[in-house]
Amino acid sequence: MKNQLKVLRAMRNWSQADLGEHLDVSRQAVNAIETGKYDPSLPLAFKISRLFDLPIEQIFDDEFEGGNDV
Amino acid sequence: MFNADEDAGSNGKRILWMSLCGFGIIMLLGAITGFLSAHMEEGGGPLKLSGYAILAAFISVALALAFAIWKLFRQMQQSDQKLPQREKVYNRFLIGSFLFGGATGLVLALTGSFDANENNLFATGDMSPVLAIILSIALGVIVPVITFYWHKNVVDEQEEAAYRFGALIAMYAFWFIAPVWWFLSRGGMLPEVNGIALYFITIFVTLIVWFWKKYL
Repeated sequence: MKNQLKVLRAMRNWSQADLGEHLDVSRQAVNAIETGKYDPSLPLAFKISRLFDLPIEQIFDDEFEGGNDV
Repeated sequence: MFNADEDAGSNGKRILWMSLCGFGIIMLLGAITGFLSAHMEEGGGPLKLSGYAILAAFISVALALAFAIWKLFRQMQQSDQKLPQREKVYNRFLIGSFLFGGATGLVLALTGSFDANENNLFATGDMSPVLAIILSIALGVIVPVITFYWHKNVVDEQEEAAYRFGALIAMYAFWFIAPVWWFLSRGGMLPEVNGIALYFITIFVTLIVWFWKKYL
């Protein structure tokens, strides 16, 4: 899943290790999320959302462009 | 700072190269030992110039690989100057496990606990009851407790997912390899199915997939 994590991290001048410390995950986890290789769990996504004070959908993009198909 | 962090984010390639170099050194040491053993069996005595050249080539390559490991390790150290707390605990745990495992293996080897003809991973020969009990307690009690703590407190969710995927692929590997081996052994094309070999195959598959999902 595409996301803005790298940009948000850069805006705060944080390293991957800094972000990992805030989220209590490893740098590998931060790296995997940033590069879209790993999608975080819902609890971790909420943690990220609270950390950057942004709604989840502004950080993560599931690239869904359709209407109400639920 | 930012570019260096991108580079340091996943040390997977460095770890992979270090492992390959380490494997290469072990192979080269085996080749040197084999070369010298063959020389002794042929009567020993001083080596010919060509013998020295071969030995020098083996040793040079082994030293070059050792230097490469040191360089890669230094790069990792530089990128590891500030680690998240969870990763620090992870690394301490890993180093402790390697030291304990290495020391145990060394003690077992030095005390001659393994039969010289049965010292491979797939051995099926007799073992002293004391050693059997020690290894059973280690693998059946101590390692499971450490593993529980490891999964509960040390690894994060990304690595947990890597473990899960590794376990899934290993399960399928076991499901497919075991019956194929069984059929081919009954057809007389392979030796009897070896449970310990299957055990190591599943561990190996898990390790490969875990590494790929965690680091690459």
